[in-house]
Amino acid sequence: MRALRWVTIVLGVMFGLLPLLWLVLTAFKHHPDAITTTAKFVPIPGTAVGSAGVAFSPTLEAFGATGRAAADGEPNFLDYVLNSAIIGLCSTAASVGLGTSCAYGFSRFRIAGAKDWLFFVLSTRFFPPLAVVAPILIMYRSVHLPNTHLGLIILYSAFNLSLATWLMKGFIDEIPRAYEESAVVDGYSRMATFFRLILPQARTGMAVTAVFCIISSWNEFGFAMTLNNAHAVPVPVYFAGLQGNIEGVPWPRIAAGTLLFVSPIVAFTIMVRKHLLRGVTFGTIKQ
Amino acid sequence: MKHDAAAIRIAFVAPTLVFLIVIDLFPLLYNVFLSFTNAQLSSAAYDFVGTRNYSAVLGELASPRFQDALRTTGAFVVCAVAIELLLGFVLALALRDSFRGRSAVLSLLLIPMMLSPAVMGLFWNLILSAHNGVLNQALEVLGISGPHWLTDPHWKLPAVILVDVWMWTPFMMLIALAGLNAIPGYIYEAAEIDRASTWAVFRRITLPMTAPLLGLAVLLRCTDALKQFDLVMALTGPNDASTQTVSALLYQVTFAGQKVGLGGAYACVVLVVVIALASVFTRYLDWLAGKQGRSGQVAT
Repeated sequence: MRALRWVTIVLGVMFGLLPLLWLVLTAFKHHPDAITTTAKFVPIPGTAVGSAGVAFSPTLEAFGATGRAAADGEPNFLDYVLNSAIIGLCSTAASVGLGTSCAYGFSRFRIAGAKDWLFFVLSTRFFPPLAVVAPILIMYRSVHLPNTHLGLIILYSAFNLSLATWLMKGFIDEIPRAYEESAVVDGYSRMATFFRLILPQARTGMAVTAVFCIISSWNEFGFAMTLNNAHAVPVPVYFAGLQGNIEGVPWPRIAAGTLLFVSPIVAFTIMVRKHLLRGVTFGTIKQ
Repeated sequence: MKHDAAAIRIAFVAPTLVFLIVIDLFPLLYNVFLSFTNAQLSSAAYDFVGTRNYSAVLGELASPRFQDALRTTGAFVVCAVAIELLLGFVLALALRDSFRGRSAVLSLLLIPMMLSPAVMGLFWNLILSAHNGVLNQALEVLGISGPHWLTDPHWKLPAVILVDVWMWTPFMMLIALAGLNAIPGYIYEAAEIDRASTWAVFRRITLPMTAPLLGLAVLLRCTDALKQFDLVMALTGPNDASTQTVSALLYQVTFAGQKVGLGGAYACVVLVVVIALASVFTRYLDWLAGKQGRSGQVAT
């Protein structure tokens, strides 16, 4: 049993991490070394590019290339990262702000039809983007929102609001009501209690919620590719445009870009690892 | 606490609800409206066509294209979710007891599920490439001649499933671990005193006591897998007969075919399924909360 257990763990780790390891190795290759018919996985400086065997000469060329545009006046990779960051940060701020206040309302007040409202909020997360994107595109066109940061910010704020509301409701439910009751006795208004008592105590919850919101905006593809494919293009849409014949695709540059693109997510994941369970189950499982 | 004026209560919850109604509900209703027209993306003018789109969709429901999309989506959801559940549960069993470096291993294992399917899907194109890809090169070392993952019609859907399994097995593992950790130790001690066999302990204690949370995980994964679009786009494109899911078909009809009205009618059919699933999910949560409410682990 012990041996079986370790074999399982080792196989699991290999399956999970080897593709990521390959991503890292590819990011440090010259293009010919990335598409060889025998895998090159030993970085040895000074190996000739395109030589036979498993060694390759590591290079930072691909990382340098991410800062250069395909042509003059074209955006470079970092411009796309900037688009993703602007859209992700603004929409996250909106979702966490609105979600926290809504969650507080549902946590502390008796609201007619609260269960139905919460169901409605959750169901918005289940919509397939492709089922609502055409009417949104037509609506957006009439107010010139396609291909703008604001357009996706609004959409992602709404998309993440269901997650933010449900997650924050879980966190706020855990804050004892006794504080607020004594504050009310002391003559604090409801708004003052919310801002001075609840928000400071809900800080961890808000940070965790923000991380989940920013990850889902950062990764989103369906809405982005149909609404923002000419200007204010976020990274996933830019990457999708690079597809093509295997030999012709600039794999080291893609790997380097992907590595830069996913590393903040990996850092965030490790930061919130204690709350991951909550995040992926809309706050319904707590540990 | 209950004396707050209605105005205060509304001030807290209304902004969110109004925002969601405007951004999510309104487009849906607009979609229903459009589904009775012959609107096209390229022009602003449209005419009412009555229920023609619906008779077209109803006709299409019987058409090979839509049935294939349904079958592809169904096969994808069932295979991907089943494999993820099995692998995730086995991994969770292996990782259940603590060992040195367990939390580091767990953090590393959880990374794939947080990454972007569209972006990682693109890189998987290189890994899965028949001759230039590292997967088939590794299989060859083991003496297996790997299939042409992304060009052989029989292997395209398995390739999409493989990448999905890579991304989402950690999700199942995470929830299964939570279920395993929630089983009180004294139950196992009692079983040991009764000299129950390992299999009996697994069959009568471990499995039934983790099943409710596994059910939640399966439900969440199914709702997500039913929408599958990003990986299909990244690996085979939206119009590949062997991997066209319902979302990919929707995209193809609406954007490549420019038929917003027809797409809208399709979307309405899809939404009925989505709303049904969302309500199953909330009911399941209620049931779970009732079942495990005392331990305070699950709260709705």
